[in-house]
Amino acid sequence: MLRVLTVLALLLPLPGLGADRPACDLPPELLHPEPLPAAAAAIAHGHLHILAIGSASVLGAGGTSPAAAWPERLRAVIAARRPNLDVTVEVRGGRGLSATDQRHLLNLALGNGRIDLVIWQAGATEAVRGLPVDGLTDVLTPALQQLRARDVDAIVMDLQFSRFLRANADVEPYREALRIAAAAAGVPLFPRYELMNHWADADSVDVERAARDARPAEVDRLNGCIADALAAFIREGVREARRPPP
Amino acid sequence: MAMDALVRQGRDLRVDLFRGLALWAIFVNHIPGNWMGFVTPRNYVLADATETFVLLAGYAAGIAYGRIMDRQGWFFAASRVMGRAFTLYVAHIFLLVVFAAQVGYSAAALDSGAYLDELHLDPFTQAPYRALLEALLLRYQPSFLNILPLYIVLLAMFALALPLLRRPWLMLALSYGFYAVVRQTDWSLPAWTGEDWFFNPLAWQALFFTGCALGYVPRGGKPVALGFRWWLAAGCIVLLIAGAAASIILYFRWDIAEERLPQAVASYLAGIDKTAMHPMRLASMLALTYLVAHAVPREAGWLRSRPAWPWVLMGQQALPVFCTGIVLSFLGRMALEMSDRWPTQLGVNLVGPVVLTAVAMLTAWYGVEKKASRTASPLPSPAGADTG
Repeated sequence: MLRVLTVLALLLPLPGLGADRPACDLPPELLHPEPLPAAAAAIAHGHLHILAIGSASVLGAGGTSPAAAWPERLRAVIAARRPNLDVTVEVRGGRGLSATDQRHLLNLALGNGRIDLVIWQAGATEAVRGLPVDGLTDVLTPALQQLRARDVDAIVMDLQFSRFLRANADVEPYREALRIAAAAAGVPLFPRYELMNHWADADSVDVERAARDARPAEVDRLNGCIADALAAFIREGVREARRPPP
Repeated sequence: MAMDALVRQGRDLRVDLFRGLALWAIFVNHIPGNWMGFVTPRNYVLADATETFVLLAGYAAGIAYGRIMDRQGWFFAASRVMGRAFTLYVAHIFLLVVFAAQVGYSAAALDSGAYLDELHLDPFTQAPYRALLEALLLRYQPSFLNILPLYIVLLAMFALALPLLRRPWLMLALSYGFYAVVRQTDWSLPAWTGEDWFFNPLAWQALFFTGCALGYVPRGGKPVALGFRWWLAAGCIVLLIAGAAASIILYFRWDIAEERLPQAVASYLAGIDKTAMHPMRLASMLALTYLVAHAVPREAGWLRSRPAWPWVLMGQQALPVFCTGIVLSFLGRMALEMSDRWPTQLGVNLVGPVVLTAVAMLTAWYGVEKKASRTASPLPSPAGADTG
């Protein structure tokens, strides 16, 4: 099933792809999609309203324009595949926001109208500032459980892989906390850290090794890869939700 | 001098050995991306090197300062404890300066500020004087520099509680009572960021005072000990197996966790925090200690064997080895920042333990030489105490 997904991902056009560099693939062992019933039901009704919530990366920090940020790219990827689907991606967040701040933004956004799927990019601010790890889980787990209770699907997105971050911030406890919080709420985790690490190792996309003037283009390329991977991840989750129970 | 001669005999070498292993694991775990991180105990025990370090630090403090108190009184012993805390404080500030230099250097080298949320990684660039003040007040603890502040506060608490060593069960009752209150109320020490300390000393004290109670040997008496009971040992084994299964599934077989692990189990695991020493972590550490203490006899021959001595030696020279380990972990992280392929991995994991052992040897040799020159001189030698 995930092999098919990988093949599909490889077939997707990747803008800005250099001829000599490998495409950013999706190793099946990294992705464990889970059923996304609310998204599946919404798509059946012809719409999909996504809320992307997070810190700097949701706004496309470091890229060429806000339109190159991964939430907007995700919308474009889904819209291209499903021209008849009314797909929207709303973005809430900002640099340096903690999970507590993000939860507040989430509650505000939920009050504004129907949302089918929340993609929550969490933990970066906590890791960078060295905040207590339990603060992150204490906020995330109940908030995710609340989303499920309201029939809103959620995906937790973890930290960015960066050699700089890894050398200067204690990333592991926060990665673990995100994984466990997602499992506790029965919500899938989108392993951005591992994917980016894999792409960097394969030289598909590596922002930190790009020359300084090529950096914004490389960040765009990264956002494109993230958007494609997310689209595939969501597609698989929707497919699993539609599968009749055994 | 023969290397074995550097190992101080006449003490519980099991404690030294495990302390040495904990110091090595702290070095490894302070390098995210280090492949050795997959073999350190945190992957299969719900307690890791930090817990071991704190428990055994309490044990060493109980032995050394308990003895000083019995000989020279509480006030003198408490002064010695505070002297030790001050040494740790100075060491912490030194490490902080090294850390600030490292962050500054690698930020300049990689210029990743543009797309990362690194704004607060280095408060020295934003508010240097405030950062310095907050660091001196221990209210600003950068990543990887949160164990020594914990240890400093624990020692300060210990200085006050010293006389309770003579009534260990009362000390433990007070300590665990306070721990229960702290767990209920979420009391902690405030940090500059508006949140709490990464490790809450008010909760971690339970483990430290357990170590103190186990370590203290009253004059003419016997230390607190729990004899071997098969049902207790069986309970400990069950607890550790359950913890190991949960950890392994969570760290290595994520797919099983998602497909088969009941959500209630995952929910429970999500609540196991290290910040305020969740009871499961405390219980795992105590169970591990109980089992190891009964499984490894104090006189086990292999504790004196050649493969064991580097670890025993590291454990005996805990403070310099700990600080060197932290500095080495900075260098290791820088090396892996440049390249994280196998040559660097191999280099980091060879150089690290070798340097740590060398530092332990040097410190031990210095201690032996100092003692020798003191015995040779006519001056009376003060009662020596080493805790680390």
